[in-house]
Amino acid sequence: MLKMHNIRKVYRTDTIETHALRDFSLEVEEGEFVSVTGPSGSGKTTFLNIAGLLETATDGQYLLDGVDISKLGDSDRSRQRNEKIGFIFQGFNLIPDLNLFDNIDVPLRYRGFNSKERRRRIEHVLQLVGLSARAKYLPAQLSGGQQQRIAIARALAGEPRFLLADEPTGNLDSEMAAQVMELLESINSAGTTIIMVTHDPELAARARRNIQIVDGRVSDSKAAPVAPVAEPA
Amino acid sequence: MLELKPMLSALWRNKTSAFLIALQLALTLAIVSNAGVIVSERVEKIARPTGMQVEDLISVTFMPIAQEYDMAGAVAADMDLLRGLPGVVDAFPTNQIPVSGSGSASRYFSEPNQEIGGEVANYYQVDPNFINTLGLELVAGRNFTAAEMDVMGPNENYDARVAIITRDFGEALFPGEEPLGKFFFPLGENNPIEIVGVIDRHLGAWVGWQKAGQVVFYPLLIKTNHKRYMIRAEPGQRDAVMKLVEEKLAQRDANRVLQLETLSRDLEQSYMSDNVMVKVLSAVIALLTFIVSLGIVGLTIFWINQRRKQIGIRRALGATRANISRYFLLENGLIAALGIAMGFAIAMLINRMMVTSFSQPAMPAGLLLSCAALLLLASLGAALVPALRAANISPATATRSV
Ligand SMILES: Nc1ncnc2c1ncn2[C@@H]1O[C@H](COP(=O)(O)OP(=O)(O)OP(=O)(O)O)[C@@H](O)[C@H]1O
Ligand SMILES: [Mg+2]
Repeated sequence: MLKMHNIRKVYRTDTIETHALRDFSLEVEEGEFVSVTGPSGSGKTTFLNIAGLLETATDGQYLLDGVDISKLGDSDRSRQRNEKIGFIFQGFNLIPDLNLFDNIDVPLRYRGFNSKERRRRIEHVLQLVGLSARAKYLPAQLSGGQQQRIAIARALAGEPRFLLADEPTGNLDSEMAAQVMELLESINSAGTTIIMVTHDPELAARARRNIQIVDGRVSDSKAAPVAPVAEPA
Repeated sequence: MLELKPMLSALWRNKTSAFLIALQLALTLAIVSNAGVIVSERVEKIARPTGMQVEDLISVTFMPIAQEYDMAGAVAADMDLLRGLPGVVDAFPTNQIPVSGSGSASRYFSEPNQEIGGEVANYYQVDPNFINTLGLELVAGRNFTAAEMDVMGPNENYDARVAIITRDFGEALFPGEEPLGKFFFPLGENNPIEIVGVIDRHLGAWVGWQKAGQVVFYPLLIKTNHKRYMIRAEPGQRDAVMKLVEEKLAQRDANRVLQLETLSRDLEQSYMSDNVMVKVLSAVIALLTFIVSLGIVGLTIFWINQRRKQIGIRRALGATRANISRYFLLENGLIAALGIAMGFAIAMLINRMMVTSFSQPAMPAGLLLSCAALLLLASLGAALVPALRAANISPATATRSV
């Protein structure tokens, strides 16, 4: 379970102070699929970064699985991030010098799994995203949709409890976006909690719950009555 | 190691820059180690024992002003005077100053009437006080007696009967044999000279000479128009004694030109070019190491900046700061290892050329290894700061930058 209470995030530069989040409170239950929408600059990425332990809040309380994150040091945060969180980025963020197998391997090595266990997990997630045949390809040899599927595989390989996605379909055409969305939905139905930032209202509507962030606050949080069924492509 | 395999494949994709920095390290190692060979050879040369109590010794050169001069009488009177001065251990008259770069040498043979082959030796005219004055070590036989002393005019022919030689010269003339009691002969002559004593070591006149250390002493005073004295002071009193000697000698006979010098200074002058070589090459070594370190700092910073995003991604995927620093240090270590391996090969190649073309000594393994260790340390040191700074790149870089 993810619980934020009165989170505040202030960015200070020489000239200005930006209050990216203020009085931000939110609870996300185990197994939820939450979509996050809101105008540009409203604080969506900031929220996701704090939720994913990429940044720390200026103020407020954040409990991840009951662990008070603000009390953790940098390397403990790294470990929590590594074990509990999978990240999916708009720009895929695969490491260009590594082949797909080694890309998925990166978080598993930090986790300290032995090579047999890593291989098992990598092969499993590669199969899950349907790219087993291309394990030795470099990221640049894949289409955008394929790259994002590898990024999802990498996020899933550690079997995280939370999958955080920042506009995962933002760089994809609608067909590829639909594929990725389907993948996320099946991952969610297998039990992984997903929080997804998106600009696409159609995709947002497919989530069980949508929260809207305006000006650094949760302005609206509503549960969709019924998850719409995806039309067959 | 934690991430060796993917690191190697990532390096392989950047092989040109990795190879260039490795090559830079390799060439530096090759140059530094070969310069090190020369430096260590010179340092050893400078550090060789001279066999003499150099720091306590003073030389005096004098030339009488008068054309007609009782040289033998003057020497006898000066010796009486010098040996009685406070602070003076002993003194003797001679023809040349050791290790000063100026001296005489001749060719000698173990058989009479020979003109080809033989062995060269640096020779000195001395009196029985020379062993005590110079602080030499007599390892076999005896010193000269007062009765063996010859006094001659400058143009007379000298037929030596007895000599004291250095161990080095004995070994050269009679390899593997005990030289004491044996006879040797000057070039083309048949008068035998008996070896009555053997001195452990005396470096002779020329420190750079290949045969330095092959020396013969004769109990002889030749009445040349100038003469030299060697004087040994009590430990720590050399400079005071030098002043006193100058004053007293001038007092005894003002009609001559005196020139005093410490033996330390002569020795220093003789090793001047070696010292310059050591300094210049050491500076080259330091400079090259510094430059290659700068290159590594530059490359590491460049690579880290190029991979800021990647570092952010790794952090987002769970890398600790230590993971990140270690990654770059390890990567640098791999490049350095490659560079050093190539450097070994190039260094040996250059050394082989130096050995055959310039008769330089062969590369000692220890020297090559220490140079490699120095470069490895320098390269890790150079990578350390950038690698530590890389760990400060925020994980948010993964989401914030495009
Ligand atoms: N590192 C930073 N330094 C200063 N200001 C920042 C920093 N990161 C974000 N901000 C500011 O914080 C505010 C919220 O940014 P955030 O990236 O969370 O918005 P967003 O909702 O994700 O926008 P978008 O939809 O365009 O991605 C913005 O005003 C942004 O300029
Ligand atoms: Mg954003």
